Amino acid sequence: MLNGFKSPGRIALIGGESEIGLAIISHLPQDKSREVILVSRSGEYAMDITVKADRERIAHDLFAKGDVDLAIVAVGLLGNDPSKSAADNLLAAMGVNYLGTVHFVELLVERMKVQAHGTILIISSFAQVRPRDDNFGYGSTKAGLDFYARGLASKLKGTGVTIKILRPGFVQSKMTKGMALPPFAITSEECGRYGAQALRSKKLITWAPSILKYVAVIFRVLPAPIFTRISHR
Amino acid sequence: MQITDPVLTSGWGNNFHSLSSRASASTVAEAQEILAKASTARGLLATGLHRSYGDSALNSGGTLLDLTSMNHIRIDRASRIAVAGAGATIADLEKAALAQSLFPPIVPGTGYVTMGGAVAADIHGKSHHRTGSFSASLRRMTLLLSSGEVVDYTPKDVEFWATVGGLGLTGTLLEVELELREVTSNSVFVLEKRVKNLEEMITILAESDSDFEHTVAWIDLSGDYRGRGVVSLGNYCAKQVKSKEATSKGPTLPSIAGKNFITPLSVRAFNEIWYRKPLKNGESSLTKYMHPLDGINRWNNIYGTPGFLQYQFVIDVGKEQIFERLFAGLRALKAASFLGVLKKFGERSAAPLSFPRPGWTLTLDYSTSIPGLEKFLQEFDEELVAAGGRIYLIKDSRVDPALIPTMYPRLGEWRAVRDSMDPKGLWQSDQARRLHLC
Repeated sequence: MLNGFKSPGRIALIGGESEIGLAIISHLPQDKSREVILVSRSGEYAMDITVKADRERIAHDLFAKGDVDLAIVAVGLLGNDPSKSAADNLLAAMGVNYLGTVHFVELLVERMKVQAHGTILIISSFAQVRPRDDNFGYGSTKAGLDFYARGLASKLKGTGVTIKILRPGFVQSKMTKGMALPPFAITSEECGRYGAQALRSKKLITWAPSILKYVAVIFRVLPAPIFTRISHR
Repeated sequence: MQITDPVLTSGWGNNFHSLSSRASASTVAEAQEILAKASTARGLLATGLHRSYGDSALNSGGTLLDLTSMNHIRIDRASRIAVAGAGATIADLEKAALAQSLFPPIVPGTGYVTMGGAVAADIHGKSHHRTGSFSASLRRMTLLLSSGEVVDYTPKDVEFWATVGGLGLTGTLLEVELELREVTSNSVFVLEKRVKNLEEMITILAESDSDFEHTVAWIDLSGDYRGRGVVSLGNYCAKQVKSKEATSKGPTLPSIAGKNFITPLSVRAFNEIWYRKPLKNGESSLTKYMHPLDGINRWNNIYGTPGFLQYQFVIDVGKEQIFERLFAGLRALKAASFLGVLKKFGERSAAPLSFPRPGWTLTLDYSTSIPGLEKFLQEFDEELVAAGGRIYLIKDSRVDPALIPTMYPRLGEWRAVRDSMDPKGLWQSDQARRLHLC
């Protein structure tokens, strides 16, 4: 349950090894009595998000021992494994970023509606703003997730369940190791601060960093030749 | 009788907002009908006027059973016994009793508490050092159990004591039978003394317990945090006074754009005036004296949208040094309270979860928007527990559940009785979930 300071007593981090997810939790007001459940590929709450039976089992187990006040959905796959074909990479990214995540969020929502409270923070991406040659596959999966999350947020009004969307730009983490740093790149630690801010905010969407909100507006209206030239830099 | 769609409900502190269905019952049969329809998934909780500060009377996802219509009061003048419905308020009871030169021996700081709430919290008042807590006046209680049975319990029963201070988690109270005391008028003789610091306050309170039936002190925790204040001492007296009811007649404080008006500056200004106010030395209306804040309806709106919490704890006599640590911490945070109350408790009741026990009890109100307050109170709780103290659950909204078994060492005993009374786990509350009480 939330306490009187609105601090969540029980948090589930889906993508328990996610540097961004862990950083978000570290930026929440500290509470010794808080229980943080890490859902990852191994451990007590082991789940392969692409496996339906795993998703159902974990969703059940998470709520069996008490209310979940906050779920941070921080699973993600860039889909850039050089050992795989483009088609297989895209399939894997779709399975993790869209199919598995959306289905799992639905399972969380079903249960949070019963407890009539709870917040789900969904980590989307700046990549969903406009397709770029280098990551439109990944961007399309995040665009689908983002679209779904916005619709879900509206649908859940009045149920006590709240959706928050965090849209990070380039975040320096294990997932992006070795990649060239684009403008407005932030560390996972900084991204965590924005995530904690998203949870305090009354707004549905939080950009990380905040300036990306304005960059996105520009990106959306730029003529295609100019956009392509910029995005190739 | 119908169960509504979920509606938002908050405690008196406005720091929780919980979505739950509501159902009202004005008869036992209606209450039983609602019970039969309730799901055990999120359960049922009886509710009254929502004067508990935190989440004791909230049940998100479940149902709140409103019994405020069950407010009958019958008084037998000869035996001084009153029978009151669960929804009857302390103010209702006082009015009915005063008409027969009687008065409830234990009343809290507000008259807006139902019999159900009074039992669930085992409330106390300014007379605790003489009269004990609310359960001391009880002779019988009638409870609706989760099985649908209606059962009478008396102080000989363990179920009676599990229900006293049991936060509504053993069953739904339907009716109580309690003993009233004789009074010769509607007034109380009040003597107020201004004190410069906590030490002086403690001395006067301790010395006055034998001479006065009502003893309490308003403590100023702002400015230099030395604990100056006004000690108020009272005894029932014979002189009839002109009196308006303390409840329902006053103005209602609106919520002004959800703003919190309690700041260090406003508290300091208010406390300065209150400290310098002319001291009473004469008769005062009983109800006004007992319920000073009831003159302003919805006074909790002054804290605005962030809401506030009330922090009340008890500590043994001889452990007063803990106050210095508390005051220093609050001063560092610039956390100013305009509603600080210090009182010396008398004997404890037999109820495992009843809060009062011999020692000093301090009550403070704070906005939840004060930076660092949550962390500080967590740290202070640990010092409090190490010193043998405990907090009042009906006021709580933030304690670490791991500390509860130490604060309330008879929790296991209570759980065993509760489980036998409610094997289905029907009675649930947000606080019970947060603190893992059941």
